[in-house]
Amino acid sequence: MTSVKRSRLTSPPWLFAAPALVVYALVVLYPAASGVVYAFTDWSGIGQDMSFVGLDNFATLLGDEQATGSIGNTLLLTVAIMLVQNGVGLLLALGVNAKLKSRALLRVIFFAPVVVSPVMVAFLWKYVYNPDPSAGLNGLLGLQVDWLGDPSVALWSIAGMVVWQYAGYSMVIFLAGLEGVPRELHEAAMIDGAGTFQRFRYVTWPLLAPAVTINLMLSTIGGLKLFDQVFAATNGGPGYATETLSTVLYKQAFVFGKFGYSTAVALVLALFVAAVSLVQVYYLRGREVTA
Amino acid sequence: MTDLRNARVSRGQFFRMMGGLAVAAAATACSTKPQTTATTGGQPAATELKFVGVADQKAPMDKLVAAYQKVKPGVRLTTSFAPTDQVQTSVRTQLGAGNAPDLHVVYPGNGSAMSMSQIAKAGLLADLSDQAWTQTIPDGFKPAFQLDGKTYMHSAGSTVIGAIYNKKVFEKAGVDTLPTTWSEFLAACDKLKKAGLAPIALGAQTPWVTQLITYALVPSTVYAKDPTFDDKQLAGQADFAGSGWREAMEMYLELQKRGFFNDNPNGTTFEQQISLVATGKAGMAIQVSAVLPDFRKAAASADDLSMFPVPGADRADAVWIPAGVVVGLGASAKGANAAEAKAFVDFLGKQESINAWAETISAIPLTQDASSAIDPAVQSFLPFTKDRAVPFMDQRWPNAEVQPVHFAVVQELLAGKSTIDEALKKMDEAYQK
Amino acid sequence: MRRTFLLEIVMVAAAVAFLFPVYTLVSLSLKDPAQISQTPLALPSPPTFDNFGKAWTAAALGPSLVNSTVITVASLVALIALGSFAAYFLARVQTRLGYGLYILFLLGIVLPFQLGMIPLYELVTGLGLIGTHAGMILFYTGIQLPFTVFLYTGFIRALPRDYASAAQIDGASHLTAFTRVVFPLLRPITGTVLILNAVFIWNDFFTPLLYLGGSGFETVPVSVFAFVGQYVSDHGLVFAGLVLGALPIVGVFLALQRYVIKGFSSGLKG
Repeated sequence: MTSVKRSRLTSPPWLFAAPALVVYALVVLYPAASGVVYAFTDWSGIGQDMSFVGLDNFATLLGDEQATGSIGNTLLLTVAIMLVQNGVGLLLALGVNAKLKSRALLRVIFFAPVVVSPVMVAFLWKYVYNPDPSAGLNGLLGLQVDWLGDPSVALWSIAGMVVWQYAGYSMVIFLAGLEGVPRELHEAAMIDGAGTFQRFRYVTWPLLAPAVTINLMLSTIGGLKLFDQVFAATNGGPGYATETLSTVLYKQAFVFGKFGYSTAVALVLALFVAAVSLVQVYYLRGREVTA
Repeated sequence: MTDLRNARVSRGQFFRMMGGLAVAAAATACSTKPQTTATTGGQPAATELKFVGVADQKAPMDKLVAAYQKVKPGVRLTTSFAPTDQVQTSVRTQLGAGNAPDLHVVYPGNGSAMSMSQIAKAGLLADLSDQAWTQTIPDGFKPAFQLDGKTYMHSAGSTVIGAIYNKKVFEKAGVDTLPTTWSEFLAACDKLKKAGLAPIALGAQTPWVTQLITYALVPSTVYAKDPTFDDKQLAGQADFAGSGWREAMEMYLELQKRGFFNDNPNGTTFEQQISLVATGKAGMAIQVSAVLPDFRKAAASADDLSMFPVPGADRADAVWIPAGVVVGLGASAKGANAAEAKAFVDFLGKQESINAWAETISAIPLTQDASSAIDPAVQSFLPFTKDRAVPFMDQRWPNAEVQPVHFAVVQELLAGKSTIDEALKKMDEAYQK
Repeated sequence: MRRTFLLEIVMVAAAVAFLFPVYTLVSLSLKDPAQISQTPLALPSPPTFDNFGKAWTAAALGPSLVNSTVITVASLVALIALGSFAAYFLARVQTRLGYGLYILFLLGIVLPFQLGMIPLYELVTGLGLIGTHAGMILFYTGIQLPFTVFLYTGFIRALPRDYASAAQIDGASHLTAFTRVVFPLLRPITGTVLILNAVFIWNDFFTPLLYLGGSGFETVPVSVFAFVGQYVSDHGLVFAGLVLGALPIVGVFLALQRYVIKGFSSGLKG
């Protein structure tokens, strides 16, 4: 195709973006902008009583053990999910990408949980994690672990449940990346005498970089904002062992009747997510190569 | 600062005009307007009332809505029910946005975000004081229904906390007489344990279940000694740490130390607690009588289950029990159909309605007549209800934070991650917020 | 070939382990309470289908299926139309303002939905859209636009400009160039947009509960959880309800799995 000089081209008219912008502004921007105001008030969430308290809510947040503790839990949970979900996803992708007879079926099985509602998955796993030694996971493995009831285990159990549901998600993205690795490169490496691991390390892995970027980003944002699963499985308990920023902001708004404070927590969460995603994009894009 | 909220509301109205375009587009894109589901068939009903409630209210509401349809065919009630947490979130949002359903769930007293006091204080509940049934609310229950002398909530009666036990299991373990003192209670648990069973099923993974054992004991350890404890605590003259709450927590943990609970109570849910007792793997569960129907549904025969008061004192006559008003409902103060909504509440206040509601959930009817049926399982509590019963503790707590803190500290205590000192300190701190 | 065989065994074993929760779900839904408490892990013997019959009637899933389908399909159409047009503009415009607008859309991905929940509810009430399909469609279109625009813009930026340019030089308007030339090229990412949004919208629980609760227009998750909340103690019955609730989307997935998996990832290579 003959190339055309760019200068001769016009960009598409603004009108193309207008309808989307109107709906987006109406449903997301305007409500969020009016919601932010509450972060500087002591509104309970109902009624007309409300006064401005300046930055008090943010000051309270710093001294609120429950909220600061939940930041630690949020980060641990996010890192665990990010590493394990992508690690398992990558292994599954490498396995399924080989010439197996059952590959189509395997792909379907590993991906299927992705399409089911997270609340339903949490409901099911609550039973699977039941401490009864004769039922659920304990029965299967002959263990006696109190998966959701032991404060030192519960957070990891939630991570496990999330990984089960979304490892297939990562797998499919890695698979798409693997399909883009040219066969000739592998063959060349094989002729050069490279082993399986070396071929993965020097041929496959660098070319998977875009898939790694997108997977890490999706799992990080998902982990930081994780709410449904924690809420349905433990509601932050036992004690405060699985309390995350999302459950804290939920409880402040709807259980404690501190809507203003809850909005302040929500703002902090939003900044967190934005900062982490920016850093990730900046860092990861830097090491990408293209095939 | 009301002007700011008003300003924001008018901004909403501004957007209403601005949004006209989008609405028109959306409406043409999807012209499926609600009409097809009217159950009255053909004729649209004159007034439509909307009720949002918690799942526990479904059985009695279904019954009474059907009855109301016969009395007032011109009013159609649409109901929706969901688990407590979700209802709390959606109704609070609707209240916050000034668009509450005509009728919705309300928790008695104070101490939770959906409680009568909190919502009435915000001016969002209709005053029901002119209805005849409100004149007959027993004095002891008034704080649950009333704020500043006005009634804002309807509830069909009270529920007690006690031990729901499996008669067959007790028989098999040789527990012939029901315990009436704390030492007899421990002895009975011992017998059950020796018979190879979990004496008490505890589903502490479900947050609200954690509080029931403390609630069962505190009437004896706190209120029997000082019936005015609530008032003193509100006045700042008493606190959790320096009261019989400490004793109750110690008794709670003693039960655990002696191995009287099922394994891993923190990982066990309310549902599993039910099944442990219903299937005879555990002897009893300390629970509210309102969940008796759930236990009966799960048991091979409903007659296997009954209840007795948990004796929290060493002298039988010093035992007090918790008896709280069951979750109720209120009418929105601002709805377009406020009059019709109040009329429905008035209907619920009639003796037959109270009887019907109470019977469905094994509650003690708010007021009683000849046709009131009291579940035989709660008969043993009736002698206490006159002068040895106290409302559930949270109904007098000043804010919605104490109760969730209580849940969390009990879970921490059961997990061995905290001490009674720390737990009570946290509760006192939450109380003062 | 021995290595492939070994790998096959390992992978199949992994899949079997992976299916354990699903086995639990289905086998419990086919048991009566006595079997559940006595032999929780064993195969149901004999299986009972009573739970399914009861769950289907009690949860009133028939009408909910229609509601969920209408809402999901209409929202998807709106998202694809609005999202692809906007992304085409955002990917091609070369002004600072255009880039700023793109960032503004991305902002929507990081905002927690709780932030605007009450003002949005007021707005939807003000528009008279509470308890209607239209209100939900408007909500999902708005809330999912940021992610949709993000996916489309990334994909369009990676497309060679030449196609549309050539069409334009032939005298076609931007509109024709987009609908005739560019949009068909977007098929892979449209597949991704379709699937990710469909999964989210179909499964969403809280917003439909808030906006549709009691309207008679409840979606499948709302009906299922109302049912689940009511029968908590009967695991067999509750699990039968969950199976029924998950069946439609899992069924669609299984029927179209080739396209779903392909579509899901084709736009997400990075």
